[in-house]
Amino acid sequence: MLDKISREDVLKELFNISVGKSASILSEIINKKILLNVPNVKIIDLKDKETSLEAYLPEVIDGTLMISSISFKEKLTGKANLIFPADKMRKFINLCINESSMDNKNDMNFTDIDFDIIKEVGNIILNSLIGEIGNYLDIKLQYTVPEVKIFHKKDLKNDIKNTEYTNVLMLYITFNIDGSEIFGAIIINLTLNSLNEILSKIDILKENFYV
Amino acid sequence: MKLLIIDDSVFSQRMVASLIKKHLENAEFYFAKDGEEGFLQYKSIKPDYTFVDLLMPTISGGELIKMIREYDSNAKIIVVSADVQKSVKDEISDYGIVAFLNKPFNDERAKYICNMMRDDSNAR
Repeated sequence: MLDKISREDVLKELFNISVGKSASILSEIINKKILLNVPNVKIIDLKDKETSLEAYLPEVIDGTLMISSISFKEKLTGKANLIFPADKMRKFINLCINESSMDNKNDMNFTDIDFDIIKEVGNIILNSLIGEIGNYLDIKLQYTVPEVKIFHKKDLKNDIKNTEYTNVLMLYITFNIDGSEIFGAIIINLTLNSLNEILSKIDILKENFYV
Repeated sequence: MKLLIIDDSVFSQRMVASLIKKHLENAEFYFAKDGEEGFLQYKSIKPDYTFVDLLMPTISGGELIKMIREYDSNAKIIVVSADVQKSVKDEISDYGIVAFLNKPFNDERAKYICNMMRDDSNAR
């Protein structure tokens, strides 16, 4: 007899496929092989006062963070955020612009061009991630212009919680680029209706598994 | 050949231009950072081909394509977008564009589009 498939199993596999596509896209941009771990997916209820969002972030994601985001609306309303430690971003930016010098790999003085690169790469990755899931679940999304910002991990909770969103899908990802690991996370803020829409589409998918 | 690249990301503008330059010798590039500037540039330059991103401030790529086609029904527009949604591709393709390419704009896509532009130019 087949084991029962949980909603989390389906969600994890959907993200696994779309993160794989995002990695392939990223690999094209920086012209390096990228290895990715299988993401863990957690559904977090922000209404729960005991919930500490930082506690869900791995310890390696600490200090100053660089966050690239896009918001979406229409059938789903939410915001997808790609989060990486800012001190790892210099090497990544250098790879994007084919700059081989690693002397300033921890330089955190980011220029407008650096922000432009991170914003655009975040846009491409998040579009791939969210768009592929939308395609798979047949949910249309309309995006707003991407943004990028830097802030400290301790301020993350305020930024994420001070919104109309009630739920968070948290994905942990590790990019292994050229031998160095960059730990990151993807936080997708959703309204309760949007989370329910995704879960109901997943239930339809699950039903089809047993036909 | 005059090419107008409209994208709010300078990184993407340069990526598209540098890859096209590799495959098309006589390309002359013009850039705009949003839909509003893109439309003004279009009217003043009258490019042979216009590369348009969809997600941009002021006027979106979709709106811009409609404006350009109203102004010039023969406009040749190539969409270069990060949006991978099938529904978006279908909707935008209905606007009579030449091609819809997903970002990142890579060597393979550049070669394909340059061959197409060269063949089209030779046929005229």
